[in-house]
Amino acid sequence: MNIVIIGNGVAGVEAALTVRKREPDWNVTIISEESDHFFSRTALMWVVCGQMKHEDIEPYERDLYARLRFQRVRARAVGVDVTNKQVALSGEAAISYDRLLIACGSRPRPGPWPGSDLPGIGHFVTLQDLEWLEAELHGGPSVSRPPRPEEHLPRSSDDSPYRVRKTVLGERGGSAQAPAVVGGGLIGIEAVEVMVAAGLRPKFFIREEWFWPMAIEPREAKWITDRMASHGVEVLLEHDLKEFQGNGRVERIVTNQGEYPADLAVVAIGVVPNTSWLAQSSIELDARGGIVVDDQLTTSDPSVFAAGDCAAVGWFDGSRRPQQLWYTSRDQGRVAGRRLLGDTAEYRRGLWYNSAKLMDIEYTTAGLVNMNVEGEHNWFFEEQGRVRSTTRIVTRGAGTDKDPVIGFNLLGRRWDHAVLLQWIEERRALRWVLKNLRRASFDTEFVPPLSIPSSALAATEGANALEGPAPNPYIKGPTAYPYS
Amino acid sequence: MDQQGQNGLMKTYRQGYRSRGAMGYVAAIGLLAFYLILYFQDKLGVTWFDDIAAAMGLENRWYLYGFLYCVGMVFGGAYYLRHHGNSRYNRIRIAVNITVQVLLGFSLPFVMHLFGERDFYFSYIWPLKIEYLYPSDISQFPIYIIAYSALASLLAMPVLAYFFGKRWYCSWVCGCGGLANTFGDPWRHLTSTSTRSWKFEQVSVHSVMFLAVLTTAAVGLDFAIGNQYPTFHAFAGELRSWYGLVVGAILAGVVGVGFYPLFGPRVWCRNFCPMAAMLGLIQKLGRYRIRVKDDMCISCGNCTTYCEMGIDVRSYAQQNQSFTRASCVGCGMCAHVCPRGVLKLENTWSLNRDKHRQGLNVLDV
Ligand SMILES: Cc1cc2nc3c(=O)[nH]c(=O)nc-3n(C[C@H](O)[C@H](O)[C@H](O)COP(=O)(O)OP(=O)(O)OC[C@H]3O[C@@H](n4cnc5c(N)ncnc54)[C@H](O)[C@@H]3O)c2cc1C
Ligand code: SF4
Repeated sequence: MNIVIIGNGVAGVEAALTVRKREPDWNVTIISEESDHFFSRTALMWVVCGQMKHEDIEPYERDLYARLRFQRVRARAVGVDVTNKQVALSGEAAISYDRLLIACGSRPRPGPWPGSDLPGIGHFVTLQDLEWLEAELHGGPSVSRPPRPEEHLPRSSDDSPYRVRKTVLGERGGSAQAPAVVGGGLIGIEAVEVMVAAGLRPKFFIREEWFWPMAIEPREAKWITDRMASHGVEVLLEHDLKEFQGNGRVERIVTNQGEYPADLAVVAIGVVPNTSWLAQSSIELDARGGIVVDDQLTTSDPSVFAAGDCAAVGWFDGSRRPQQLWYTSRDQGRVAGRRLLGDTAEYRRGLWYNSAKLMDIEYTTAGLVNMNVEGEHNWFFEEQGRVRSTTRIVTRGAGTDKDPVIGFNLLGRRWDHAVLLQWIEERRALRWVLKNLRRASFDTEFVPPLSIPSSALAATEGANALEGPAPNPYIKGPTAYPYS
Repeated sequence: MDQQGQNGLMKTYRQGYRSRGAMGYVAAIGLLAFYLILYFQDKLGVTWFDDIAAAMGLENRWYLYGFLYCVGMVFGGAYYLRHHGNSRYNRIRIAVNITVQVLLGFSLPFVMHLFGERDFYFSYIWPLKIEYLYPSDISQFPIYIIAYSALASLLAMPVLAYFFGKRWYCSWVCGCGGLANTFGDPWRHLTSTSTRSWKFEQVSVHSVMFLAVLTTAAVGLDFAIGNQYPTFHAFAGELRSWYGLVVGAILAGVVGVGFYPLFGPRVWCRNFCPMAAMLGLIQKLGRYRIRVKDDMCISCGNCTTYCEMGIDVRSYAQQNQSFTRASCVGCGMCAHVCPRGVLKLENTWSLNRDKHRQGLNVLDV
């Protein structure tokens, strides 16, 4: 049996491991344009700032491919011919498959503004972006480079996210001094942190009224924004970009509020499925480029599967779109591996949860935490003692403490999301949850537990209880929800 | 102040002395030279350290060494707190460890000596301080110290390790561990995490443990019946002095500290310490473990990189596997640096504690 996997990311590698565990003799070929070795994309920021070496972000030792007899092809796939069961490669002979997995991940969403192509502007998603940013900030790589970093370049193409971005070190006369980040999301704040670690004071352009309204509300955002400011970040809220300007390299950023000097810009306004190379193939894509798959991760062709960031999978609310997360990609990779083996296996995502680190503030979320949704209420508590934290618990119902809890948004402390999700599934009432909250704590030892004064217990807030900022612009109404 | 989470690690590899740059080699050569002269000054025909000690009013170079050790731990402790002090576990642990060293590992023996007593280090126990169960040596001490030494190494050591893991000693009490976590902290990421280094560790650390038990038994037997068997008496004496030279001086001192800047601060603890090996075996059976949160690890590798014992923590975390490794000294750094709060050190009371928790989203149909 000939298994071909396009993608050396977490989805592709997990699938390959799943296949190899059961079938020692099958041919498994992994095609990757970006790198020889599987690495953790989530950890790019720590390599840039010098917290880890390149090898440190590779989850397996480098002999993995030899040991498990995975063949590697370092090339760009340019199409899939489902009739002849072949993957076309740029500058190399096509590869035949019996079963194919496409796990080609995401690519950065390009800036839609004039001047977005100027040198000195880049993204922060691929290994090549990492090298570019390291060079722009530090003049070169920190301690190590991945092996054969440029192997693919001769056969890459202009529209590949893995091509190398030109640095403007020479034109600028050294590393960046006035960097900027555009886009107030998770990758954006990581880029900001990297610049702070390099001793710089970046400007952070955010279109919305507060940082990351998709997930957090103004009081939570204020803490994070203040923390950024205390590290010297200039947070520019409600700045709608108009244009990048400069002579041969970026020199200014123009927004609805004015003109700002910048000699480096990281555009982090989200990622899109990395599927433009599939446009001429007969594999069905959705309107946004996601590969259409069923719950078993089969694409429109029965011997082709898709997993990870590029696959439009089912969500708990019934929609079908990519889940651009590490652990969902990993789980999808494992399901896809079973599908490549010929099993029936289904990918099902339970309730939403996630965690992140926003500067040095840790963040955990579980369930639905949108704000100002009609019929939903927030219980909010800000802890200011030895530990600083915020706790927001969202309920649905009449606004009493007997309402079932549907979501948690938690900053500053560590929580076990599995316990929180279980409570949501069990439709636990707010009162019960507050009383038992400590059971979900995951704080390190000796951290004083969260204690909530009894005066704070009763108060929930209705929709639109917050003064000032408008309701979350992304949320139109209550989300369909399986447990209520 | 935040109570957990990394800070101050960002520049690790951008500092030459911390990333095997030229300054790292200079530091290593300096430390190696220091230890070689300290241990083998007679063979080298110099008396520098004894001279300095005399000038400071100390009786011999070992008191000078004890003093420098404390200075290293205090300044290293300040470094540690500046980098990782936002975690309460780190603060309490390092404060206890430094206090134990300064009081029990230096001041008390010094004072005992002033009062004409034989100095005794209450913070060092057998098999790390192997003489403390050699009958010939320990019998020179008053009875309460003999009782302390026997109880500490034969009772307290295993019982505490069963309930709290080996960390109670290796990260809270021990002077070697204390120096590693303070003075040696800048180099903690240099410990190798390769499978090869793990295989080496397993063989070497257990061999030294075996040797320690053998040597103690031989010296003990020699104490009892040695005068009837002159060949055995000679053998036990040889064994004892070889163990002292190779394990006590070369491995614990020269190699153990000298290579901090190149191979990380736990070379001795991980590969050679007989006490660590013994505690590790008990830890495997005991209540201590690192708990892993389900499906939250992003495989970033911070935990593995900053593990001073070279444990590939990530390989467990990304498999949702709570675990106990014999070598884990419970320094808490993996939990501290994890950007997603996936890890937690704990002493469990029920070993089935998280049976109810959800598994992977992989369903059979
Ligand atoms: C900076 C950053 C931080 C992140 N942080 C988090 C986080 O904290 N938590 C979280 O859950 N998620 C995070 N993510 C998202 C997470 O990294 C992704 O969801 C995950 O890596 C997707 O894995 P994948 O296997 O689907 O694809 P990818 O990792 O993108 O792998 C794509 C693979 O496909 C190959 N490929 C693509 N196209 C071609 C082609 N045409 N020819 C040949 N090979 C091709 C590439 O070489 C590559 O090997 C982060 C992402 C970024 C960029
Ligand atoms: S456990 Fe934490 S530090 Fe370790 S790899 Fe996973 S996310 Fe990173």
